[in-house]
Amino acid sequence: MAMTTTGFVVSARLLWTCRKPFVRTSASPSWSVILSRSAHQTGYRRPGQPKDNRWFWQRINFDFSKGVNGVRKHLGLLKEEFVQRWEGPEGKPLINHMLEQTRVLWEFRGPDSLNDWVVSSDQEIGGRSAAYLKLGRNNTTCLLYGTLCSVAPRDGETRYSGYCSMRSKQPFGAFDSKKHYDLSDFNILHLRVRGDGRPWMINIGIENYFSHQKDDIYSYFLYTRGGPYWQDVKIPFSKFFLSSRGRIQDDQHYLLQDKINTIGFTLGDKADGPFQLEIDFIGVCNDTSHTEDFAYETYKRNPEV
Amino acid sequence: MNPYVLSILLISLGLGTTLTFMSSHWLLAWMGLEINTLAIIPLMAQKHHPRAVEATTKYFLIQATAAAMILFAASTNAWICGQWDINQMSHPLTSAMTMTALALKIGLAPLHLWLPEVLQGITLTTGLILSTWQKLAPLALIIQTANNTHPFLLTTLALCSTLVGGWGGLNQTQLRKILAYSSIAHLGWMILVSQMAPQMTIIALITYIVMTTAAFLMLNNINSTKIITLASAWTKAPALTALTCLVLLSLGGLPPLTGFMPKWLIIQELANQGLAATATIIALTALLSLYFYLRLTHALTLTLSPQITNATTPWRTPNKQPTLALSLFTIMATCLLPITPTIFTLMT
Repeated sequence: MAMTTTGFVVSARLLWTCRKPFVRTSASPSWSVILSRSAHQTGYRRPGQPKDNRWFWQRINFDFSKGVNGVRKHLGLLKEEFVQRWEGPEGKPLINHMLEQTRVLWEFRGPDSLNDWVVSSDQEIGGRSAAYLKLGRNNTTCLLYGTLCSVAPRDGETRYSGYCSMRSKQPFGAFDSKKHYDLSDFNILHLRVRGDGRPWMINIGIENYFSHQKDDIYSYFLYTRGGPYWQDVKIPFSKFFLSSRGRIQDDQHYLLQDKINTIGFTLGDKADGPFQLEIDFIGVCNDTSHTEDFAYETYKRNPEV
Repeated sequence: MNPYVLSILLISLGLGTTLTFMSSHWLLAWMGLEINTLAIIPLMAQKHHPRAVEATTKYFLIQATAAAMILFAASTNAWICGQWDINQMSHPLTSAMTMTALALKIGLAPLHLWLPEVLQGITLTTGLILSTWQKLAPLALIIQTANNTHPFLLTTLALCSTLVGGWGGLNQTQLRKILAYSSIAHLGWMILVSQMAPQMTIIALITYIVMTTAAFLMLNNINSTKIITLASAWTKAPALTALTCLVLLSLGGLPPLTGFMPKWLIIQELANQGLAATATIIALTALLSLYFYLRLTHALTLTLSPQITNATTPWRTPNKQPTLALSLFTIMATCLLPITPTIFTLMT
């Protein structure tokens, strides 16, 4: 039973890679209105996306070449993962790992660099904020801009609204295996940003094992100055505190830097109006004079008397 | 941790291993293995960090699976052959199942995937216990059942382990993961010779425990878990740094250090048995492990990493950590090669 299910999932995944991108057609069956809530329409549809009213046989677009290209790409990545070990850990010579004091993780130098980022706002829950991402001047920076609106959606259950965020996508290796950023050699996050004076939050997501921890995020504040001058922000990793689903946890611990998945910027300062944040680069550096392990007390909640 | 709780856990660890050593019945041996597993769980999780809890959970699931397989194999053997003796496992299916379960317990390739992640999540001291003490009981069972196991299975496990232990360690910058892959490679050497000369397995095991203990205690002394912190170890304890270099090369099996002894004796035994090709393959795979030990030595002693002036003065502060065990194991890890004939005579 498990093997049948697994086989079904694998074959569905193979079919998914062969499909062509969805193009909406104007001619749809008129009686799809009656069947619009039928069982075959499953999955989450992001607000603002057009409804897909096609029949299931119309959605299948099988293409061998896409599958072949996918297999070739993944086998190439797998071979790379084996062969790079000869050069050194993670493909870089040992001297890099020993002497590297700074590393730039993201710099926005072309349209492809924006593909690594996902922008979201409270439109997902029915709010009215809008956030967009584009390349800044001379294609050398990225600009996150939009409008914040903290009017709560009128669905009867949401009380607060008004947030926008951009988050990096998790890197994947061969056969879509999850890869992580190993930043344990560094202890400071270094950003060069130009904001509009609003307080932002930087959120780092790490690899977790238990499903209880899937919403665990390590956060810290980014106070932007506004104005035409660039701002160099250096935040030690020891300052990041743990929160889960937005609530700061009592049981705090330091951010583990060996399996970082994503980094994101969130704005939720309840000030309606336009915003913008321009980012030049995001990097990490190693400051040997910063010896703090964790900035907050990890006291026991029920201490022994 | 409360000293009473700590003493109960450590005594339980000793009890479990001793129980497995002295047992001739599969159920008693299994019980000893389970006591070992349960006793080390609180030691691994005492930091309450998500990574430590993750490592503890993974370790528990793996060890419980392996123990269940051992129990199943022993029960099946009792059903087929009518007796529970450890030495009398005569059915090929049950002996293969037992060997696979024991390989999962100690982390032999291809059943090794849990070991680097688990070692990475725990402290160096607990990692030391995991790498040394927790290997004793399963290896005692392996030595007793190796004669009844198909040689192809043992050879495959051994050669896979040395290859994977070498190749996997090349990609690591975290020292605990490097020591995990080192453990996998050394266990491969032990398993290979267990079918023909079990006393060589015991010699290899004892020398591995000595060298690994020295390595872990040294890393604990300089509080280093990454290659980049190894590069600044010379500022904290210059003499210890030089000795760490020797211990790492001993782990790599270079003469005239202790680590050469088991490799030499095992290759000699394989050549006597007419297995020259196997001996060549395992010697070549040992070169992969040697590469990452040399890399650590290079980072430790042959380079000066960039640092500020203040960072060059920690050696002025006296180190208050106890060093008796460290000095003892370091001497044993580097100076035992000249008494190889004595050790060989004692063991055979």
